[in-house]
Amino acid sequence: MNIIVLIKQVPNTTEVKLDPKTGNLIREGVETIINPDDLHALEAALALKETHEAVVTVLSMGPPQAIDAVSEAMGMGADKAVFLSDRAFAGADTWATSYTLGKAIQHMGEVDLILAGRQAIDGDTAQVGPQVADFLDLPQVTYVFDIQAVHADYVVVKRRLEDGYERIQCRLPALLTVIPGAGKPRYPMASRLLLACREKAPIQVWNAADIRVTTAEVGLEGSLTQVMRTFAPKFERRGTMLEGGTVDVVRTLTAHLRENKLV
Amino acid sequence: MIRSNPEELIRKTIARFVDAEIIPVAQELDNKGEFPREIFEKLARMGLFGIRYPRNKGGAGGNTTLYCIICEELARGLVSVASITAMQCLMGTNFLFHYGTEEMREQYFLPAMRGEKIGCFCMTEPDAGSDLGAITTRATEVDGGYLINGMKTWVTDGPEASFYTVMCQTDPKKRLRGIGYFFIPRDFPGVSTSPRFECLGTRTTPICEVAFKDVFIPKEYRLTPEGEGLNAFLKIIAEIRAMTAALAIGLQRAAMDDSIKYANERVASGQTIGKFQLIQAKIANMATNLEASKLLTYKSAAMIDAGRDALKEATMAKYFATEAACSAADECTRIFAGYGYSMEYTAQRYYRDTRFLLSGGGTHEVLQGNIARWAGV
Ligand SMILES: Cc1cc2nc3c(=O)[nH]c(=O)nc-3n(C[C@H](O)[C@H](O)[C@H](O)COP(=O)(O)OP(=O)(O)OC[C@H]3O[C@@H](n4cnc5c(N)ncnc54)[C@H](O)[C@@H]3O)c2cc1C
Ligand SMILES: Cc1cc2nc3c(=O)[nH]c(=O)nc-3n(C[C@H](O)[C@H](O)[C@H](O)COP(=O)(O)OP(=O)(O)OC[C@H]3O[C@@H](n4cnc5c(N)ncnc54)[C@H](O)[C@@H]3O)c2cc1C
Repeated sequence: MNIIVLIKQVPNTTEVKLDPKTGNLIREGVETIINPDDLHALEAALALKETHEAVVTVLSMGPPQAIDAVSEAMGMGADKAVFLSDRAFAGADTWATSYTLGKAIQHMGEVDLILAGRQAIDGDTAQVGPQVADFLDLPQVTYVFDIQAVHADYVVVKRRLEDGYERIQCRLPALLTVIPGAGKPRYPMASRLLLACREKAPIQVWNAADIRVTTAEVGLEGSLTQVMRTFAPKFERRGTMLEGGTVDVVRTLTAHLRENKLV
Repeated sequence: MIRSNPEELIRKTIARFVDAEIIPVAQELDNKGEFPREIFEKLARMGLFGIRYPRNKGGAGGNTTLYCIICEELARGLVSVASITAMQCLMGTNFLFHYGTEEMREQYFLPAMRGEKIGCFCMTEPDAGSDLGAITTRATEVDGGYLINGMKTWVTDGPEASFYTVMCQTDPKKRLRGIGYFFIPRDFPGVSTSPRFECLGTRTTPICEVAFKDVFIPKEYRLTPEGEGLNAFLKIIAEIRAMTAALAIGLQRAAMDDSIKYANERVASGQTIGKFQLIQAKIANMATNLEASKLLTYKSAAMIDAGRDALKEATMAKYFATEAACSAADECTRIFAGYGYSMEYTAQRYYRDTRFLLSGGGTHEVLQGNIARWAGV
């Protein structure tokens, strides 16, 4: 079976810092990693490879330096990769991102299973997986933490709910968005990492023309939403220390609460 | 063609491993002082032990530069884990790889790459450390092989080992020109080991003495051919020194990172101590020494990768980077002051671990003698 895993390179921090002037993300000096959920998606795919005849292909869109995420995925055991890198893809919103990924998947040939992370730690929307499924007109299951059985034309998976889980049977091909499960993502192997750095490595780099899209359909131009302004919200809280004996303090406090209609 | 840079990619991968798997448990491992089996197995699964060996022969297809990068990053986490790894990648397996028969490769080398067997390197003897020409462990040719008699000490990983690469004298009159390397499996009759040494630093690395009493080994277990022992020694000693320098760089970085963090946090007289010029001077020296150590070390590694004689450069790198590590660890304990003396903080561990780097790969008195000779006196 053919498995495609969507991986995104993200800064290794949940505290994304914004340049106060431009409103852009400050990426300089911040170490980059494969988005954590995507590592779990890849681990799930690699685990399937151990028990099924499967070819695992990773697909990633990003600037040239995101090649490291692709190489790392190859180091972990992916068989091949497609890396979408083109200035035209830059500035994509989630819709344009999903459209571009969808177009690339159509171009990649037959696929049985697509795995994505649930959510990226930088963009944080959790929209890309579902949108790719919608674009390709595939069934989707989100919040998957356990792929229990894979058959020729269906899978059985467990998806996390707030207060438990659902066990779902879903026909293939399908797209699953994955959250951390039991299997800890493996570390890459040195030999595979070094192979991924060679020109001969089975990593294809595609631009807009390769996936038959015009530059107007993708990137900033192809985005349906435009960011007007990005800013870090200011937290301006001021505390008041109440002083005096306990009785006085409680009296002042209750008066204050009543005055502000908090009780 | 967009491709990753192999050196950056390997460094990033190992750095992530060190941050997640080693640093959080480093103090605990050092306190316990047991062989770090779990981490060793993880390193084996990443295929790191084969980093210097070609891919078609069970290795990872890397080189000395990548080997040094791995050693440096691991040492930033825990020097003893790095030294165990360094031993398995280079000294413990190198001559077995180059001179062993196909059968020995299958039986010992490949399992070592998988972390199932551990190899050691035995040169030092109770009465011969710096002066290896004085070793007395004898290999005597007998019918079908050799008889080995003698005693080795300071054998890194000795208590955990499955096999030893042993420097033996074949002709005492020839001193260093008579030496050769011999392969001795631990389970051969006549091999015995002492209890584990109690050591000041690198406490997870087990060390012991190994004695050989009338140990018979077959002919093919002589690794270096007659007359090639000294050359083999000079070649591996260059790489050992480059690697030791890389360990020292890792230790410098750990000491410097912790010093900077502490200097920016600790308040005295109403300001963070990093605002004091005398503390700043310490950090400035650490940063400058670190940069110089990297240049010397990776220059010598690149020369080894280019097949050039790098003994002088590697010797200078080992000497400089280790002295810089000693200074960084010393200054780190001063910046931490009282807490630098506490076993709960890292500074004391860096300080203790530098002592291993001072002897491993040659003492600095000996190295300075070498360097001075090469310089012309
Ligand atoms: C600096 C900056 C500027 C931005 N500008 C805009 C903008 O102008 N307009 C706008 O609407 N949005 C903008 N975004 C958001 C950006 O479009 C999203 O980051 C991107 O579309 C992915 O969405 P997400 O990060 O929310 O991923 P999620 O939807 O949370 O990701 C879910 C999963 O989808 C997959 N996935 C996501 N992205 C990729 C990828 N590139 N390659 C492969 N797989 C992927 C992964 O498996 C991931 O785990 C900006 C983001 C940043 C950081
Ligand atoms: C933690 C640790 C692990 C080790 N692991 C191994 C291992 O795996 N395998 C192995 O074979 N060995 C190992 N060694 C041994 C190490 O290589 C020796 O300690 C080192 O070579 C020095 O020998 P020595 O201790 O006998 O010192 P000595 O040679 O006795 O030196 C004593 C002092 O005299 C000085 N000195 C000696 N000769 C000269 C000279 N010519 N000029 C100036 N000064 C001189 C020395 O610098 C030193 O200050 C290890 C040592 C340690 C501490």
